[in-house]
Amino acid sequence: MSQDHGLSVPSTLKGFVQEPNSNPNPNPSSNQLKRKRNLPGTPDPDAEVIALSPKSLMATNRFLCEICNKGFQRDQNLQLHRRGHNLPWKLKQRTNKEVRKKVYICPEKSCVHHDPSRALGDLTGIKKHFSRKHGEKKWKCEKCSKKYAVQSDWKAHSKICGTREYRCDCGTLFSRKDSFITHRAFCDALAEESARFTTISSTNPQAAAAIPQFSSVFRQQQQSAPGSELAGNNVIADGQKPRLPLWLDQANNSNAMLTPIGSSSTGLPELSQMVAPMNMFGSLSQMQWFSGGANLSMSSSSSLPRGIPKEEEENKAYNLSESMTSLYPSNQSGQQQQQQQQQQQQQGLAHMSATALLQKAAQMGSTRSNANNSTGFGLMSTSFNSFNQTDKNELHKFFKQPNQQVADNDQNLNELIMNSFSCPTNMGAVAGSSNASLLMANAKNASNEAERRLTRDFLGVGVESSRPLSQQELAKFMNLSSQYGGNPHHRS
Amino acid sequence: MFQDDGSSSVTSSSSPLQFFSTMSPSLGSPYQWLRELKSEERGLYLIHLLLSCANHVANGNLENANLALDQISQLASPDGDTMQRIAAYFTEALAQRILKSWPGLHKALNSTRISSVSEEMLVRKLFFDMFPFLKVAFVLTNQAIIEAMEGEKVVHVIDLNAAEPAQWIALIQALSTRPEGPPHLRITGIHPQKEVLDQMAHRLTEEAEKLDIPFQFNSVVSKLENLDFDKLRVKTGEALAISSVLQLHSLLAADDYASLIALKNSLLANGYGYSQSPDSVSSSPLSPNASAKMDSFLNSLWGLSPKVMVVTEQDSNHNGLTLMERLLEALYSYAALFDCLESSVSRTSMERLKVEKMLFGEEIKNIIACEGFERKERHEKLEKWIQRFDLACFGNVPLSYCGMLQARRLLQSYNCDGYRIAEDNRCVLICWHDRPLFSVSAWSCRK
Repeated sequence: MSQDHGLSVPSTLKGFVQEPNSNPNPNPSSNQLKRKRNLPGTPDPDAEVIALSPKSLMATNRFLCEICNKGFQRDQNLQLHRRGHNLPWKLKQRTNKEVRKKVYICPEKSCVHHDPSRALGDLTGIKKHFSRKHGEKKWKCEKCSKKYAVQSDWKAHSKICGTREYRCDCGTLFSRKDSFITHRAFCDALAEESARFTTISSTNPQAAAAIPQFSSVFRQQQQSAPGSELAGNNVIADGQKPRLPLWLDQANNSNAMLTPIGSSSTGLPELSQMVAPMNMFGSLSQMQWFSGGANLSMSSSSSLPRGIPKEEEENKAYNLSESMTSLYPSNQSGQQQQQQQQQQQQQGLAHMSATALLQKAAQMGSTRSNANNSTGFGLMSTSFNSFNQTDKNELHKFFKQPNQQVADNDQNLNELIMNSFSCPTNMGAVAGSSNASLLMANAKNASNEAERRLTRDFLGVGVESSRPLSQQELAKFMNLSSQYGGNPHHRS
Repeated sequence: MFQDDGSSSVTSSSSPLQFFSTMSPSLGSPYQWLRELKSEERGLYLIHLLLSCANHVANGNLENANLALDQISQLASPDGDTMQRIAAYFTEALAQRILKSWPGLHKALNSTRISSVSEEMLVRKLFFDMFPFLKVAFVLTNQAIIEAMEGEKVVHVIDLNAAEPAQWIALIQALSTRPEGPPHLRITGIHPQKEVLDQMAHRLTEEAEKLDIPFQFNSVVSKLENLDFDKLRVKTGEALAISSVLQLHSLLAADDYASLIALKNSLLANGYGYSQSPDSVSSSPLSPNASAKMDSFLNSLWGLSPKVMVVTEQDSNHNGLTLMERLLEALYSYAALFDCLESSVSRTSMERLKVEKMLFGEEIKNIIACEGFERKERHEKLEKWIQRFDLACFGNVPLSYCGMLQARRLLQSYNCDGYRIAEDNRCVLICWHDRPLFSVSAWSCRK
C-alpha cells in the first residue's frame, strides 16, 4: 500500500515504532532497522529538476540494439550487449566532477508532485508513483481480487495476502500491525460494547448455567426417551414440550426423503446419540421456543378435544376475542360451531375442503379438446335451466366428466377459460346473446363497442385509451406465440 | 334491476337468471333455493360463478360481471364455510378491479381507510401463531445460519423484514449454547415502520442480556425497494448472513405493459419465431423492466458477500400476465390456506377472521385487482427463484438433515396432519396435503 505520500499518521507511527530501539552506536544510519525517511517529496534545493513526459516515464527498454533490436533499460547494459556483436562500444565513465543531483517531477498536472518543490529524488520512484497513482491497475491478486499498477507491489501483496495476522473484534482483518492498531482505536463495535458493559452488571458462568433450562430439560427428556418410546405412545402428556420420542418415532416412520444417519431405520440409539454431540441442543432449544408458542394456540394433546385446551391456554389477547366470539352471530345453515374445531366432525357434516371442491369442479368442468368454444360457456348456462329438476344430476350433466388426474386440474380449468379466449368473435357472440337475454338493452354492436371501451379503461387504472393492448389481444397473441411454440396450454 | 320477487323481463332461455324467474312462483324468494343448497353444491356453484365473473371482468363485460357479483354475494360470506369465505374475498378483489375503471370512484372509496400499526402487528402475530409456516421457516433459517457460522467469532445477520422477534430470540438462544461459546452477534433489521424496529430492538437486547451474549441491534427504517446498502454497514471480511422471509417477491413489481409491448414488437419483428410459455415471459430477457429492480437488488446482495442467504417465499405462481391465470392459481393456493384455518380454528374465531381479511384478503386484492407497480404480491414458484438466484451467481446450499428433522418435529407438534414437508432440489417446500405453499432455500455467493 502506498502510504508514503503525504500521510502524516503512518510516518509518525513509523517513528513511534523505532523509538524503543536503544542503540548505543552513535552512527544512526547504519544500525537502525529502517532508515528514517523524510517526508516524501522534499528535495534538495540545489538539485536539478527533470521533467519527463509520461511516455518516457513509462517507457521501458528505451535503449535498443540496432542489430537484433533487443531493448535495455540502461545504456550501460546496451553497451555490454554491443560487445557481443563486435560493435564498437563505449561505457560512460562516472564523471569526476560533482554530479548534480537529479529530481523528478510527476507529469500529471493535478498531482502534488508536479510541483518542483515536491519533486521525488529517484527515477524508479517517480515511475512507480506515476503508475500507482495515475496508471491503470493491471495486476490482480488472485486471492482477494485487489488490483495493483506496479508489479512489485502486487508481488509483495500476494505474499502476505491471506496470512491475516490481526483481527479486530468487529471482524475486520488486517495484515499490518499499524493499521490494525489505528482501526481498533476507532472501531464502533468496541465503543458500543464497552458502553454496554458499563451498564449491565457483570455476568458469568451462572447465567450460562441457567440457560440450558431448555437444553437440560431436553436432556432429561432424551434420557427418558428410549423407555417411553418403546411404549409407542404418541400422546404428549406434558402439554408444553413435545418430547423426543415423537419425532424419533416419526423419523423412523417417515418416507425415503429422510435418510437416518444410523444405517437401519430402527437405529434409535444412534439417533439419540447423534443428537447429543451435535449442536442440536442449541438448535433444538429454539424448537422449544417455537413449539411453546404453537401450543398456545394449538392443542398439543390428541387425547383431549381440541377446543378445550385452546380456550384454556389462550392468553389475554385471545380471551378478549373469546368473549366476543360468543356474541358473534353465526349464520351457518345449521352449524353453530364455537367449540368444534375438529375436521372429522366438520367432514361428518359433509363439508368438503375448498381444495377438494376445486378439484372436483375442475374434473367436472374440463371440456374436451375439440369442444366448440362458444358452447363451452353456453353449455353451462343452458344446463342451469334445468337446475330445478334434480340438483345432483344436473350438476353432473353440467360439468362433463372425463377421468382426469388431479394434477391436470388447473390445466383443465385453465383450458376451460383459455378455450374461450382463442375465438374472440365467438365470445362476442356469446356476450351479445347473454346481453340481450339479460335485457340490458344494448344492441350487439353497441355492446361490443362498450366492451372495447371498458376493456381499455379496465386494465389500466386510468391509462389513456391510446393503449393498444387489451386483455383479449393479450391472450390472443400469447396464444399465437404459443401456437408456434407448442405451449401445452393451448390446444388447437 | 332485480325485483324482489324475482320476476324480471328476461325472455331468453340461455342464462342462469332465467332459472331464477322460473323458480320464483314456487318459492317465496328467488334465492331460497340457494340457501337450501348443500354446502358442496354451493361451493361448486360459487366456483363456477367466480370463474365466469372473472372472465367477464377480463373481457370488460362489466354488466355481466356485475350480475355475477350480485349472485355470488348471495352465497358468499366471510363467516361461512371455506368456499364461501374464499368467494367473499375474491369477489371483493374483482369488484375492486372493476372499480379501478373509474379511478375517481376508486380513490374516493379507498381514501378513508385507517391503517393501524398495532392492528398490522397483531395480524402478523396471528399469522405466526396460527400457522406453522413462519416457524418452520425460522427454524430452517436459523439452522442454516448456525451451520454456516461455525467457528466464527463475529456474526452479522441482516433481516430484510424485521417484524417477528421470535426468530432471532431463538437464534440467540441457540448460539448461546454453542460449544465454542457464543459469538459477538450483530443483527441489522430493516422495516418501513420505526415502531416495529424499536420493539424488536428492545426484546432482542433484553434476551441477549439475559443470556450474556455480546449483542448489537441496528435499525434501518426503509422500504426494501429503496434500501441504501451503505446503511447496512457491512464490514469487509465479516461473516454475514441474510434472512429474507416473504420479502423478495415485491421487488418484481414493474410496469408489465411496457415490457409486454416490447415483447409484442419483438415477436412481430421475429415473425413469431419465439416460443415461450406465458409463465416465463415476465422474466425473459425480452422484458428488461420486469426484473431490473430485482437484478440490481440481488447484485447488491451478492456484493455484500454473505456466507449464507436464506430465502423463504410463497410457492405459487401468482405472477401470471393475465387475470385469469392469476385467479386460477390464487384460487388453489388460498383454498389451501383457508383449509388450514378451517381444520384448526373455529369458524367464529375473530382471529381467524382477521387473518383471512387483513392478511389473505389484502393479498388476494393485490393479486387480482392491481397491475403494474402496484401489484406487489408477485409470488412465484421455487424453480423460478432457483433460476433467478443461479443467474445472479448464487450457489445453492442444501438445507441440512438436522434442520429438516426439527422442522418436521415442529409440524408434528401442530397435531394437524395436513402439513407436510417436502424436499425439492435441495430446498424445502412446506405443503398443505399435496399443495406446496411456501419454499425455503439457502444460498451463498458463487465466485
